[in-house]
Amino acid sequence: MVMCKGFPIVLVLLSLSECRRARDPGLQYSGGETTVFVTSSLAFSSPAANLDVDKMPAFTFGNRVFNTNWVTAPSSTKNFDGLGPFFNRVSCSSCHLLDGRGQPPETPKDTMDSMLVRVSLPGESEVGGPRPHPIYGDQINDRAILGVKPEGRITVRYVEIAGNYPDGKHYDLRRPVYSFRLNYGDAPGILFSPRVAPAIHGLGLLEAIPEAAILAIARLQASSGIQGKPNYVFNALTGGKSLGRFGWKANVPTLRQQNAGAALGDIGLTSEIFPRENITAIQKDNKALASVAGLGGDSVDLKTEFLDDLTFYTQTLGVPARRNHKDPEIRKGEQIFSQIGCSGCHVPTFETGEHPAGIKEVSHQVVHPYTDLLLHDMGSDLADGRPDFQASGSEWRTPPLWGIGLVEAVNRHTTLLHDGRARNLEEAILWHGGQAARAREAFKNMSEKERTLLLRFLKSL
Amino acid sequence: MQKQLLIIPQAILITISCLKPQPVSEAAVVRDYSLLVHASYLQARKDAQAMQKSVSDFLAAPGDAGLKSARDSWIKARVSYSQTEAFRFYGGPIDRPKSQGKEEGPEALLNSWPVNESYIDYVKGNPGAGIINDPRIQINATTLTGKNQQKDEADVATGFHAIEFLLWGQDFNPAGPGDRPVSDYTTKSNHERRKQYLRVTTDMVVTQLRSLEEDWAPGKENNYAAEFQKLNSKVALGHILTGLVTLAGFELASERTATALKSGDQEDEQSCFSDNTHNDFINNIQGILNVYEGRVGDYSGIGLDAWIKSASPEMADQILEALRSTKDKAISLPVPVDSILASPKNSDSRQKLESLSHALAQDAKLFQKAGILLGVDARLIAE
Repeated sequence: MVMCKGFPIVLVLLSLSECRRARDPGLQYSGGETTVFVTSSLAFSSPAANLDVDKMPAFTFGNRVFNTNWVTAPSSTKNFDGLGPFFNRVSCSSCHLLDGRGQPPETPKDTMDSMLVRVSLPGESEVGGPRPHPIYGDQINDRAILGVKPEGRITVRYVEIAGNYPDGKHYDLRRPVYSFRLNYGDAPGILFSPRVAPAIHGLGLLEAIPEAAILAIARLQASSGIQGKPNYVFNALTGGKSLGRFGWKANVPTLRQQNAGAALGDIGLTSEIFPRENITAIQKDNKALASVAGLGGDSVDLKTEFLDDLTFYTQTLGVPARRNHKDPEIRKGEQIFSQIGCSGCHVPTFETGEHPAGIKEVSHQVVHPYTDLLLHDMGSDLADGRPDFQASGSEWRTPPLWGIGLVEAVNRHTTLLHDGRARNLEEAILWHGGQAARAREAFKNMSEKERTLLLRFLKSL
Repeated sequence: MQKQLLIIPQAILITISCLKPQPVSEAAVVRDYSLLVHASYLQARKDAQAMQKSVSDFLAAPGDAGLKSARDSWIKARVSYSQTEAFRFYGGPIDRPKSQGKEEGPEALLNSWPVNESYIDYVKGNPGAGIINDPRIQINATTLTGKNQQKDEADVATGFHAIEFLLWGQDFNPAGPGDRPVSDYTTKSNHERRKQYLRVTTDMVVTQLRSLEEDWAPGKENNYAAEFQKLNSKVALGHILTGLVTLAGFELASERTATALKSGDQEDEQSCFSDNTHNDFINNIQGILNVYEGRVGDYSGIGLDAWIKSASPEMADQILEALRSTKDKAISLPVPVDSILASPKNSDSRQKLESLSHALAQDAKLFQKAGILLGVDARLIAE
């Protein structure tokens, strides 16, 4: 048993302006009353268990939009055209398959089907975010509509790294190495960040965690050497800065903005939030593109009502319940998780406040996301070198761990971390560096039995 | 004198028992539901066999009359099939999840939609599309089952809507159905494969419905009907209500009406090739009424109404009235449904469909309330 400067499990119950006390259905209910008891491939796809019947149409239509295969304009399905001209996939569900998690290509021959690569140049944009590359903008689109050449193609190969635990047991890690083939000119000095699609259950709950609760955690951490930091990012609605919650570096403040941004950046769909096509000034010289850019005119590709329901859908997906949470071995694993300091950043419990859009199903819920939504320096091995608002090149948002044990059932793989380099939970832990290095070392120094218990606990989430 | 005295108390007893709702045993409700389900699948199987015969006659000598007859028999088979959708959503034989020793229920193979037409056959702008035009693919039940929704939910290869597409073709007419020519089965390229495809998919529907009929057959020891009777009656009643709540509150109110209204896209209309969607609505609602009243076709038994009435006659009446009103709304929809979807925003016809959608959601809520009243877990399962 390793006793570290353990970080106690912090239960944050901030009832600031809320008069209601939330009901706590218990630890098994990872998503509070939104929790669904599903362990099949549909674990992330069910509506919140407490979703009002009257809101089913909005949820269902949002699901329909999420699954829509967008087509090039003009088309007979005029409500669902406007794809591109540049895109990565034609639907949200292609990357977030079954509302689940993407994975990287396994060999250099494979395409990126549920992963993308963000790019930028050093420096900041006019709103303080990543400075877009003059040709490629802020993301490489590896597909395009007929008559237009895609921006480029990125392939991955892996370098195996062998290692041993202090007790002698062997482990293997793999580091990804990327190759770029760019079609609109070279890009010397370009910064890039590969990112798999995250699973999308529970996001409305995350949106409803009071900012004060998150900042309170940051203050607590400051005194214990973990030092999580909030990312204040551009809010497209207000034009100012808001707390970022979504994305691998917490670079988006609201789900509506996240969805509109992804619709534009990944599918090429304009919306009321981002009404301009995703084409840089240099690419506009291309004749085929010039004609596409002209299409659309006043109307946007993704209608506002569609964006509204799509957002509602992403806000009200249920969180799957924990499995076997009372099993003594799993309880032991959870204790170890706390003792070695994991729960310092992967904070087990929050109470949500009133959701900003008033969605009652996700408001005032006691939930167990295992994240603090803060940025942490994870060390040079995991760094992408690409700053994103206040996140440095080596800082990442703590990802939520709820549902992590069900990714295999939903998406039939177990890859983890922002670029999917970790082939399982054990490898993911071994990559933890920077502020998490101490906890990682504690993991390595534990007995095999204790490591197994910890992994079993994680799989129960 | 004695006789007269005896008669009077009897009369009083009879009168009293007519005024007070009869207590209904939960086991009796469960037993009769089981019989109703069997009767429903039996009828669906018979109608599918009639469709099979029509299709077979058409394929033997393809002509306009034969095609019309095949189409009519499809529409007729849909009447009884649509009524069986009230038995979905609780993992019964129609949609049991795959487990050790048992195949997944046939729902996805029977009734998946929307259909990605180019997965099955040629479409406008792509004459070589689909399994039919790919000679490397064998057209038999095993292959088509494997190909159904292999990579995409919309890549439907089998079932009623695949057959529908084969009979009617794509629908480019907002005022009428698809218009596939008979020549598709006589001279068009791959017409023999097209015939085989139609033959195989029709045969599959009959086989699947027969197996459902057997799963629910009374008097057997090892089938689902036997298992269902052995369940704790509250659990069984929970299943029964879950089927109704989910069909009304999710599948009908959302997937089949609200979504289509919001998207304005023909793809969101269930029977978009034949323009038969309004009948799907009517018969889905009829299916709910069948369970509620305990009768279908010639079969009549104890329905949910008797059971609910024993706890609250007011609620029972409320539910019956609501269901009848919902059915009326479905009957008075303008047809075809795609004309509603194509009509402008606040049009009269849109409002009618919206009103139907709303009514269905309220029906689901009533069943949820009934569940709470009777201590039964009636859930809305949405995916």
